Amino acid sequence: MSRPPVLECAGLTKSFGTRLAVDGVGFRIAEGEVYGLLGPNGAGKTTTMKMVCGLLEPDKGSISIAGQQAIGNLEVKGLIGYVPQEVALYPDLTAYENLAFLARLYKLGRRTVAARVEEALELTELSDRRNDRLDSFSGGMKRRMNIAAGLLNHPKLLVLDEPTVGVDPQSRHAILERVQAFGREGLAVVYTTHYMEEAERVCDRVGIIDHGRLIAEGTRRELVAQLGEQDRIELNASGDLERLAEACRAVDGVSSAATAENSVHLVATEGRHLLPAILEAADAADISITSVDVVEPDLEAVFLNLTGTALRE
Amino acid sequence: MSLAFNGVNSFHFTLGLVELDHGPVAAQLVKALDAPQLRKVITVEKLTSTKLAGTEIMSGELAAALVIPAGFSSAATSPHPEPLTTVTSNNATIAGDVTTSIVSSFEAQVNADRLAFAVALAAGAPKAETSKLIGVVSTLRIPIQAVERPIGAHELKVISYYSPGMAIFFLLFTINYTARSFFVDRSQGMIERMRAAPVRPVEILLGKAISVFVYGVVSLATIGVVTTAAFGADWGAPLPAALLGLALVFSVICLTALVMGLARTQRQAEGIASIIIFGLALLGGDFFFISSAPSTIKHLALLTPNGWAIRGFTDLATIGGGLGTIVEPVVAILVLSAVVGAIALGLARRAVTS
Repeated sequence: MSRPPVLECAGLTKSFGTRLAVDGVGFRIAEGEVYGLLGPNGAGKTTTMKMVCGLLEPDKGSISIAGQQAIGNLEVKGLIGYVPQEVALYPDLTAYENLAFLARLYKLGRRTVAARVEEALELTELSDRRNDRLDSFSGGMKRRMNIAAGLLNHPKLLVLDEPTVGVDPQSRHAILERVQAFGREGLAVVYTTHYMEEAERVCDRVGIIDHGRLIAEGTRRELVAQLGEQDRIELNASGDLERLAEACRAVDGVSSAATAENSVHLVATEGRHLLPAILEAADAADISITSVDVVEPDLEAVFLNLTGTALRE
Repeated sequence: MSLAFNGVNSFHFTLGLVELDHGPVAAQLVKALDAPQLRKVITVEKLTSTKLAGTEIMSGELAAALVIPAGFSSAATSPHPEPLTTVTSNNATIAGDVTTSIVSSFEAQVNADRLAFAVALAAGAPKAETSKLIGVVSTLRIPIQAVERPIGAHELKVISYYSPGMAIFFLLFTINYTARSFFVDRSQGMIERMRAAPVRPVEILLGKAISVFVYGVVSLATIGVVTTAAFGADWGAPLPAALLGLALVFSVICLTALVMGLARTQRQAEGIASIIIFGLALLGGDFFFISSAPSTIKHLALLTPNGWAIRGFTDLATIGGGLGTIVEPVVAILVLSAVVGAIALGLARRAVTS
């Protein structure tokens, strides 16, 4: 990494009672880089982000932002733009009032507040709705407002925690475009998601987190290369899916098999050539396959290969 | 509550007696006060001066006092009566009423004796004494007067008691609104968003405290102005009344922090706030004259900030005076607030950061 890291964390560990939520997570993000933290729900993504943003104190580990030690350092919070998973704004205030209130938390002067609010509204294309109450906004517009609120302090590091959950495709597209633009504009972005295609589309590098541990990290190309030339095969079927997965594992060339809702996901070398043998195994297991989909190597296949489970479980 | 109010059926008080006359009529009155029928209700404590009686009533040692003025007995047959004075307190109005009633009974008895004497004359008393008796009868008026005098400069009007009582009751509701708003903010992610900014948890709490302060001051001031202008309520001098109000608002801030700290959810906050609001209002005397309450409630009222505030406002309305009148209630409110605040601050800080 040639550019200096904006965020550098190492050995982050956090437990809640006896449950270990994050176990020794560490990664670095450079200026202008969009880093995806990919993992299923409950993997530890949000806990990691909360520690980075100073909302949770880690049990162990270190966090440095723009070269400054961040744990317990109030000033460093001024360098972070935090966009939480839920829309955290006052529904009965207007867009402008919401943003002005939040901008004041950064102890900005009145004129600066006004300028920053206008700028954030413009960036998220909400200037024409500045005087409308938030409860009159669509879900996608609220999400954009949520992001606008994270930009008010001109952060060096923008933390986006699943910013597209529950958003319509059009708004999702607009948000992803904006996130890519943030990276181009030199902002360091951490983007947590459990949507594989989003991570593939917007992130320069991806860290895969599962059960609180960062199990792989790299660019999409680097991660896929770990699989070799393996394909992902999705079998939609009805019946005993565990039995189907077991039967598929026995097929020579299938490296992993995991069940998901109404389907079994396989990772296999030369997947298309293995289809007859897989269908034969399914038939022998007395399972009827309704459809088969063979996908070129992707992050989902990487995740499946690393964890033995499908991401959307 | 029934346990607390049980004492209503066993009313008893200590009456101060200032006997400055030492004449035969005064002796009859002292004897009447010592009657066995009254011993269940009154314990008489003899005092040397009216001033001392006032001091002991102020301190709560006496519920009321009866002053028999010098020359009272000789004035009984003169055209210029010397009035008996009952000194009463806002904190023990029933005791004052009972004393006045006893004195009025005594007065009625004396006048009945006098009337009998006049009738005797009319019915043919010895002629040798007639001119003398006529001379006496010619001076017949009601020679004994029972006068009730509040310990303060003014009598307490009902509106002057209930105006602060209700204003304080409404003020207490701020606890509910603010605690609820905190949990709504938290459930909407606003507290977390604020904490992501360079803001300390205590600053977030301070923001809530400022909202309670502004609401509380505006609420008290509005009710104060309206009840004074429209209903003639007497809140006392503006500066001490304002200081008393500020002390009370401070206590409401501490109570709000306590609710925020104790509750885990919005519903819990509403429940705890309701218990505190109605508990304080009931014990502090927002709904009834605290002077009419049994001693258990009177004592419990002194553990509530609103109880002290009501006492302060009624003192301002009756005794008048300046800052000296409110020193005791303000200090008591601040001490109670400090105790609650110390407990609440740690709990509320945890509520912000959890």
